[in-house]
This record gives sequence, C-alpha cells and structure tokens, in this order.
Amino acid sequence: MSTTTVAPLAVHVRAVTKTFGQGEAAVPALKGVDFNARQGELLMIVGPSGCGKTTLLSVIAGTLNFDGGEIEVFGSSLHAMKPRHVTEFRKRNVGFIFQQFNLIPTLTCIENVSVPLLINGASRRVAEQKAEAMLDQMGLPGRGHDRPANLSGGQQQRVAIARALVHEPRLIICDEPTSALDKDTGSHIMDLLRDVARHPDRSVIVVTHDNRIFKYADRLTEMEDGRVQRVHDQAGNPDFSE
Amino acid sequence: MYHLALKMLLGDRAKYLMLVGGLTFATMLMTQQCGVFFGLLKWTTSHLSNMRAKLWVVDRKVEQANELKALRDTDVNRVRSVAGVAWAVPVYVGVQSAKLADGNFKPVMLVGLDNATLIGQPPLLLRGRLEAIRLPNSVIVDELAVRRLSAGRAKPLDLGDTFELNDREARIVGICRADKHFFGYPYVYSTYTQAVQFAPRQRKMLSLILAEPAPGYSLASAAAAIEAGTGMKAYAEEELFWSTIWWYFRNTGIPVAFISTILLGFIVGMVISGQTFYAFVHENLRHLGALKAMGASNGLLTCMLLVQAFTVGFIGYGMGALLVVGFGRTAVTRGEPPFMFPWQLPAATFALVMSICMLSALMGIRKVWKIEPAIVFRG
Repeated sequence: MSTTTVAPLAVHVRAVTKTFGQGEAAVPALKGVDFNARQGELLMIVGPSGCGKTTLLSVIAGTLNFDGGEIEVFGSSLHAMKPRHVTEFRKRNVGFIFQQFNLIPTLTCIENVSVPLLINGASRRVAEQKAEAMLDQMGLPGRGHDRPANLSGGQQQRVAIARALVHEPRLIICDEPTSALDKDTGSHIMDLLRDVARHPDRSVIVVTHDNRIFKYADRLTEMEDGRVQRVHDQAGNPDFSE
Repeated sequence: MYHLALKMLLGDRAKYLMLVGGLTFATMLMTQQCGVFFGLLKWTTSHLSNMRAKLWVVDRKVEQANELKALRDTDVNRVRSVAGVAWAVPVYVGVQSAKLADGNFKPVMLVGLDNATLIGQPPLLLRGRLEAIRLPNSVIVDELAVRRLSAGRAKPLDLGDTFELNDREARIVGICRADKHFFGYPYVYSTYTQAVQFAPRQRKMLSLILAEPAPGYSLASAAAAIEAGTGMKAYAEEELFWSTIWWYFRNTGIPVAFISTILLGFIVGMVISGQTFYAFVHENLRHLGALKAMGASNGLLTCMLLVQAFTVGFIGYGMGALLVVGFGRTAVTRGEPPFMFPWQLPAATFALVMSICMLSALMGIRKVWKIEPAIVFRG
C-alpha cells in the first residue's frame, strides 16, 4: 500500500448503473461503476469504443441521469439533488471541454469565453473583461475579437479551455480534447491541461482513446464493458487507494 | 445572454433574412389585404359619407344603401308629418349614362338634392359655387367624373364645360371631392327637380328621404315613430352603415375572398417563420446543448429563443407595415384601389405577427427543453 499522502477526493462514484432503452432494446452502459478522482490530479478514463467512458463522464458532469448508485462531486451528492439543483451545481462547479470544441461560430472568442460567466449572472462588461484576460493566459492575446472560424484547431481548443476555466470551476470535464488535433497541437493542449490540473482545489477528468496522450495522466482508469477494469499510475502500478 | 442570442441570430444571415422576409411578407399581405377590404367595404357606404344625414328613410324592404326601391313623392310629406321629425328632404339617387366626347358612354351616379336646402351636398367643394347647382341643367361633378368624362377631349372638363347626360345637356358649375362608389361610378350632383328630368321618367322617382329628429327625440325614437307612422324603414346613419356592410358580407363572395387571402398571409408567415426558426434551432441544437451543459436553465434558453423570435417579429412587422403605409399613401393619392387603415388594423396585424413569432418560438422551445445536455458528448 502506498505511503504517500493521498489528496482529498474530488469525485466519488459508487456502484453507478445506467441503461439506455427499455425491454429487449435495453443496453446497459454502466454496470456498477466504482471510481474516484482526486483534487489536483489529471485523471484519464480510457478504453475501447462503447465501453461506457463518455456515459461515465456525462453522469459525473451531471448532464445525464443515472439509474442507480451514488455520485459525490466535491462533497455534493448528485444522486440526492433535484434536476434544477444539478443544473445550478454544474453552472458553478463544472467546466467543459469538448471534442469538437463546440464554440458558437457567430460569436467572437471573447463572447464565447464569457458565456459561463454570463450564465452565472455576471454583467456583460465584467464577463468580457475576464474572458479577455483568460484568453491572454491561454496564449491568445489580441485574438479575442476573432471568430472561431478564423483560428486554427489548436487555437480553437485553447478558446474552449479558456471558456471551461473562466468561471473558476473545480471540476474540468474533457471529452476527447485532442482527437480533432494533430500530434504537436494535441501535446500543447495536454501540457496546458496538466498545468490546469495542478491547482490543488481542482480536478481534471479526461476521456480519451488517444494513447499518445496517456503520458500526461496522473492516473489512468481503464474501462471495459461498462465496468472499471483497472486503475493505475504511469508506471503501471495499481492504485490501491481506490 | 440576450445580446449573444441576438448575435447568434444575426450571424446566421440567410435564416435571419428568411425570417424577416417571411414576417414582412405576412405583415404586408395581411395588412394590405385588410386595408383594401376595409376600403372596399367603405366604398359600399359611400352614399352615407357623401350625403351625411342622421336619419335615412327608405322602402321597408331596403337592407342596404346601394339597393334602393323608389318611393312616392308624397312620402316626403308623410315623413315630415311624423311627430319627432325636425325636417325631411327628398333625394334622388340613380345610375345614369353620360356620353363622352369620343362617343363612348360612362355610367355616373346621379344624386338629386332637395332644391331648397341642398341637404346631402358634396362633402368638399373644390371649385365653383354650390348655389349654382340651382341654375338650369347645372351639375357638380366629382374629381373622378372629371377624369372619366374627359376622355376624347383636348383638355379635362372644367367649370362651364358641358356633357351629355341621358341626351340632355349638363353644364358643370362645380367640382367636388366625394368618396368613391363601390361600383366605381363618379358622383354627379344636381337638384332633385333637375335630377328627375335627367333620369328616364318612371312612375316613382324618389329614392330616399333624409331626415333629422326633432329636439327631444333620440335617433331611435324618431326612427321608430317614422316606421310606425309611415310603414317605411327609417335607419339611423350608423345602423344603415352596418346593415350595408353586413349585407355585402352575407350576399357576396368578397369577404370570403379577402379573408382567404388574409388567412393565407397568416399561414404563409407561420410556415416560413416557423420552419425557418425551427431549422435555426435545430442547427444550433449542439450549441444550445452546450449552453445547457454549462448550466443554462431551460428558462434562460426559452427567454433567449423568445428574444430572437420577437426581434425578427418586430423587424418584419415594422418593414411590412412601412410597405403597407407606402402602398396606402399611393392608393389614397390616386383614389384607387380602395384602402382604409384604421388604427385597429396595424394593432391586430401586430398581434397576429407576434402570435406567429410565439408559435414559431414554441416549436423551438419544445425541442430545446427536450434535449439532454449530454448530447454535446456524442460525436
């Protein structure tokens, strides 16, 4: 058993089940998943297509209802919350980075980044000031008034990261953040995400099947057929703290 | 978030233009057709607006102002003898044939006014003197008559010019402005005595009697007294106005034709804007899903969609209404086609356009409410 100090839990998932469809058409996506993510770490969920990675990510993020089990995110029990409270929780505590960036093409970068702040009730002026500052931090000074279509894929993903971080959420959810990027750009994005995860009060969960970026993970959670098969660190050592 | 909602809408230029265009078209079609319809209905009551009297006494079978049955000349005195009548005057109204300089004939609406009082005189005399109408063979014609009856002449008809009216010479002593008749006939005014001489002789020549209640009598009580005392029908002006309008509603296909077009405007507007707005929402579903994932509530997204829908509604309505005002000004200046633009018309069209926007938005809102935010994680 490891003797190193274990960081507090950010996400705690116990026996979570989720089935799509009903009757003969029912497809169980999660079959009693147990899973933890810690504060200050970048954790990757990996596995073959259809193993339930994205479903697990969706239920952790509070964007998909689950059938059974318990999920706690930074001490808040998602399973006990009403839907509108889950939405409120997500608004304040979760940042999203998507595979296809999901930037709104008709808005400028500043406007895209300001969206989470506006949803949280910030004024337009404050939101745009913070958004511009966040874009500067992401290495995109002076690009705030560009539309996403005028940026490269890597730059667009940086804008998406800025949008995910601008309202200072504690949990960052990333769905295949590098799959639409070339190798070098993907590496830069992962460097950025690893830096983001170093914040002691934050946790970054990445779903990916891009094995080129596995090296950026503090821990890897391998899934197969709706279950967690193995949790291990970079050296392949099992994580007994689970 | 609402300014971003508007930027999302304006950013999709094609759909934005389609939405505004559809609503402009719907507004224009509904308002313009209603305006023409109201104008046409107003023309059916042109006798009332051109003669203006509180009580209209006609044959008891008469239901509307354009279908008069002749009365006996003595009926005027019978009405005058009814208690509750201050005065009563005879009026001749009939379609006559005017000969043009080029040999063609044009129908005109000949109105014969009481010789002594000239009650029922033209609403606005532009040139000439009203009293001159008492001179032999004298008539006052409206502007439309000047245009219509001048065909074949070197210059338009003017004061002092003559034309043939049922083979009799008529001399123009005045030019007036009058509301146009439903059938498009120009108005030609003369005295009652001269009018019955212009018109082909018939056993009964009196068309109607204009009257006014005596002091202390209401319109209703005077009308009731006339009906009881003479057996004729006495209409208050407003009563005859609506009776005429409803007669055309019941007995002609005009309302059905116009209402169909107005309905078509509503449906076309609904289909274009509904379908376009739905397509706009559908294409933005992924982005709306992302907003939902980021914590935007259904209420916030609903408000955003309503802001978008009503913005295009306001713009489309404004443009459509402006175009109709332009059309209306032209119509009023030219005197045709018929056009009437009471304040209730733009107000009602506004309500209809906003209901189109609301229904269009509701289709999108329903879709947005149903999407799960997890949609953003699907490839």
